[in-house]
Amino acid sequence: MALAKDIFKEFREHSVSEFFRKNAAMLGYTGKIRSLTTVVHEGVTNAIDAAEDAGILPSVYVAIRSMGDESDHYKVIIEDNASGIPEEYIPRVFGRMLAGTKLHRNVQNRGQQGIGISGGVMFSQATSGQSTVVVTSTEDSDNISWNEVMIDVNRNRGEVQEHRELEGDWRGTRVEFEVKDVSYRHSRYGPNNYLRMTAIANPHVQIIFEEPDGSLTFFERATDEIPEQPEPVPPHPTGMRADGLLDLSGETQSRSVGTFLTNDLSRFSRNKLKELEKKVDVDMDQNPENLTWDEAEQIVTAFRNMDFMTPPTKGLRPIGEENIESGLNQILDPDFACATTRSPEVYRGGIPFIVETGLAYGGNAGDDAGSGEKGLEVIRFANRAPLIFNQGGCALTNAAEDVDWKRYEVDPEKTPVTLFINIVSYHVPYTSAGKQSVAEEPEVYEEVRQAVMASARDLKRFLKKKIKKREKRERASLFENYLPIIAQKAADISDKEAPDIQPLVKEIAGVESGE
Amino acid sequence: MANDGEDPRKDALDEIKDFSDDIIENIENSEPPRMTIPSRSTSNIVFDEEKRFYTLAGKETTRTAANMRQVKKFAQTMCAADFCKGLINSDKTATLREMYYTSEGWPTGGFKSQDRSDRVVEDLESSFAVKREDLGLLPEEDGASIFGDLTVREEGMEVKATEAGRAGYTIPPTMSDVEFVDCGAERVLAVETMGMYHRLVQEEAWDDYNALVVALKGQPARATRRFLKRANNELDLPVHLFTDGDPFGFHIAMVVISGSAKLAYINHELAVPDANFIGVTATDIEEYDLPTDNLRDSDVKRLNQLLDDPRYSDGDWEKEINKMLELGTKAEQQAFSKYGLEYVVEEYLPSKLGLN
Repeated sequence: MALAKDIFKEFREHSVSEFFRKNAAMLGYTGKIRSLTTVVHEGVTNAIDAAEDAGILPSVYVAIRSMGDESDHYKVIIEDNASGIPEEYIPRVFGRMLAGTKLHRNVQNRGQQGIGISGGVMFSQATSGQSTVVVTSTEDSDNISWNEVMIDVNRNRGEVQEHRELEGDWRGTRVEFEVKDVSYRHSRYGPNNYLRMTAIANPHVQIIFEEPDGSLTFFERATDEIPEQPEPVPPHPTGMRADGLLDLSGETQSRSVGTFLTNDLSRFSRNKLKELEKKVDVDMDQNPENLTWDEAEQIVTAFRNMDFMTPPTKGLRPIGEENIESGLNQILDPDFACATTRSPEVYRGGIPFIVETGLAYGGNAGDDAGSGEKGLEVIRFANRAPLIFNQGGCALTNAAEDVDWKRYEVDPEKTPVTLFINIVSYHVPYTSAGKQSVAEEPEVYEEVRQAVMASARDLKRFLKKKIKKREKRERASLFENYLPIIAQKAADISDKEAPDIQPLVKEIAGVESGE
Repeated sequence: MANDGEDPRKDALDEIKDFSDDIIENIENSEPPRMTIPSRSTSNIVFDEEKRFYTLAGKETTRTAANMRQVKKFAQTMCAADFCKGLINSDKTATLREMYYTSEGWPTGGFKSQDRSDRVVEDLESSFAVKREDLGLLPEEDGASIFGDLTVREEGMEVKATEAGRAGYTIPPTMSDVEFVDCGAERVLAVETMGMYHRLVQEEAWDDYNALVVALKGQPARATRRFLKRANNELDLPVHLFTDGDPFGFHIAMVVISGSAKLAYINHELAVPDANFIGVTATDIEEYDLPTDNLRDSDVKRLNQLLDDPRYSDGDWEKEINKMLELGTKAEQQAFSKYGLEYVVEEYLPSKLGLN
């Protein structure tokens, strides 16, 4: 098990809290319903990541409680069973924007670029004026640490306003946000659906959800396997930009630009270095710290005219067909579930991604969209994180809707089906900073289409069998209904006793009457 | 005088009972009940050159209770047969529409539309080779009017066709039940319109010609055609047809003569191949210099269709149709009024009937 202090060694800080305050909408804090879902999302993502990092099967408790008589005033509580946060990191974790352990790495990431949990603190502070309560305990502490955290916006710094030590034998982290200007809806856009989707895409997570009316929902885990952690992958030369290259050069351990490039980029060999030297006027022996903007630009321009092997995909961690099926089965209790995980592909010439789809039929699958009759429901994910909003302009939705569903025995209006789509990448091509919909990269669109059709074929096989069975049943009942009438009427016409029809019913219908 | 057969309704009942006995036997042997129905699809309707009317070719379809698509219809057919049995036994009749509504109460449930229940009746008719009126089922439409020296017996009541008022004796849908008691007429003159009928009655032409004057009222009802057939067969009267001189008039005449494709399964009971079309012909239009209307596009189209129809392949028909196309005009029966109201009675018809 990883220790908390090791995990937080990689903690970095960026000063953008001011920026956030002015751009809350861009970060998902727009609208009363969405803002609440975003707070839940940040808290839950943080909780799951924390547990996984520590090698613990995540159990997350989420509660939303109404505060007093104001209808838009709530307390959001998120509690995990992870390894806790060392006290000295609390101001940074909850107080600084773009603070995270994964941001600086080129790695598949469930969170929202680390703006994450501190955004929740900021939102609470801005709407209710209240501090955020953080209760945490690590494996090497004897007490439980109780804190009230606020953000000093001007200095981009978290401040613990109050601190208490509580006695008790408990480990984990509990965060309590007090928010206003939000509304709670038990709808597609509300926290309930967000958690339901999270549970499907993360079958190793247990979630208990308490709604404002006190009702409890248990999303039980479907597997005891913690997914392997994504691995950082060095950036690929294709798609590299001058500023990115300069950022890397400032951080590298390498002593020369040449070794920096070969060590810190993927698929960049000594041979490629020789090829590059002919194309640019850059001293490859100089210290990388001295690399100028102009030189960086020469290098990335040259990259565009060079061929590189496609980047390694070992950093990508798809959920896997078996786990998707388990998640669908556990949460939707369907009559049938299937899943497809495609092989890695590359978009924009250098960014690897994987598309996964799943289909569930019957049970709690499908969405009635208010019509009373359940039809096709599309649930979208990026790196397992639910995409709830902006469904319309999303490549995942479009690819799914462009499939000719009738060919697969599915009537999008009438067949109770949930279609699961997950895109896995360390750089998901979002359409905007809101990160709720995926851009129409042709390769992504095509992969989604292929994956959806593969799952749809599996479903079709099942539905065909089901239809056959139903037809057989209907066929039998036709004969059971009408053959006795024929016998009775013949008897009436001929003034005779009605003959025993059952042997004939059995013979023709192939089933015992009343079976 | 002759009747339409011993007792066609009893015959029909016997057919139904035989069929039903077979079904019981099938069931006792665990064999699926089946019924054979002459196919009424267009591919099976042919013009019989020898009989000179439309008839069904030999193709038959078999309905079996072992087919999931047919078992319900089979059960409905049995219900309909039982319904007919009830009608025959109680000596009642019902219209097709009444049967359609009655079917709501059958154990099979009713029909989706009256077409469907009508088709089941056609199945029974063609399968048992009986007429629907013998099954106690009647069409809605009234029969035609007859005026002339004819006495019939209907349900024990004798009716003289000259003593039933100016509108004459109305042919009932149950034509099979009508008994011909006495007939002094020597011919039948069937005319297309009630207007011409009244003209002939007013001028006492029925007496002058010694004819039964029949008003077809446009396209004649089954019962009217059945009457013409029986008058021709049983009373041995020649049948003359006088219609408007246009494609529709030709068609009315031809349906009386050769039967319609739709009723091909029953045409042997309806068609009068010896019936004689006397006019108005295209030649008449020219010879009598009749007032005319120009042919419409639809008339021309229809006339050209008639030329392709085997029923009109006879030389006189072809000649008249071509002549009408050539003239580009058509004329109504009433057009003879140009020469006075009586002209048609005093001049035209006697000449056509060979009476002067």
